[in-house]
Amino acid sequence: MPEEKTNRLRQRTLNRAIASSLVSLGIVSLLVASTYSSSTLAFIGLSLTFWGALLLYVTPSKQVSIELLEATTMSGAANMEKLLESMETSFKGVYLPPRFLKDFDSSLIYVPFTEDQHLPLPEEVKEEKLFSKNPNGLFLTPPGMDLSKLMEKKLETSFTRMNLEELLQRLPKPLVEDLEIAQDVNTQIEGNSITIEITDNALKNLCTETRKLPKLHKTVGCPLSSALACALAKSTGKPVTIENEEEIQEKKTTKILYHIKED
Amino acid sequence: MEFPLTFSDISLWLAVTAIVLLITAELISPYYGLTNLEIDRKKLRNIALTMGMLFLGTVAIRIYSIITQT
Repeated sequence: MPEEKTNRLRQRTLNRAIASSLVSLGIVSLLVASTYSSSTLAFIGLSLTFWGALLLYVTPSKQVSIELLEATTMSGAANMEKLLESMETSFKGVYLPPRFLKDFDSSLIYVPFTEDQHLPLPEEVKEEKLFSKNPNGLFLTPPGMDLSKLMEKKLETSFTRMNLEELLQRLPKPLVEDLEIAQDVNTQIEGNSITIEITDNALKNLCTETRKLPKLHKTVGCPLSSALACALAKSTGKPVTIENEEEIQEKKTTKILYHIKED
Repeated sequence: MEFPLTFSDISLWLAVTAIVLLITAELISPYYGLTNLEIDRKKLRNIALTMGMLFLGTVAIRIYSIITQT
């Protein structure tokens, strides 16, 4: 991995050097063209300057490879799996709506320790503890919370200011156009169930790796489905659970089923 | 010392550059990790559109000059 990083850095330095050389050569060509009134040289100079400047401008400064992203995310996920294993809970986590939280912009998952538990009172959640005593459960920060915040940033609004229909209508913009983590997003509402289909998901490998951590996958979901659950909880103002998440290989699609709970 | 390109030359250059950039921006892969040259697709598309607009601007100036001459 460090060798790959060094190669990448070397490649980037080389690219910048080539672009700078193009700009310099272009400016020299333009000066010579002006001196000798050569239109051919002027065309060459103009093109070299333009393409050189373009190469310098279009290179993203903060780009990391998807492998690096996956490598840094998985240790946190493994820790969460260990925590869930030690608590011996395998019930679905509930994404709490903003009214339960101290900070309306954040998100929180409540993992119950026994089946059919009622949700904890907002006062208990606002104490920001790791464990809930009445009822017994665990509070976790969703792995997709920051991704959902990034989506909000790209949309220049908060999910809390949108209703469900508006959210589902505007969801493709941050996912497909801005963050480019999917080729297409399809949504469907059936009563209290929402199905979101994401085609050509760039975080697919991360989701596959998360499936290898069964407790985490069942309780919290992968970062992308978690981010969407955070968005749904904020938008509907109701608790949300991830009912199912599957990969359809033939269609290159990730299908996630959410359930909106009535409190 | 005089710049050797005429208005028409610049207009032609803008048209060719805009077409090349627009095609590149549309065909480029969104998966940066697999390429050696990392490119911000959105910036490239914006530049392509700007070049296209500049070309259309030169066309508008030409049309205006033709109309006012006649």
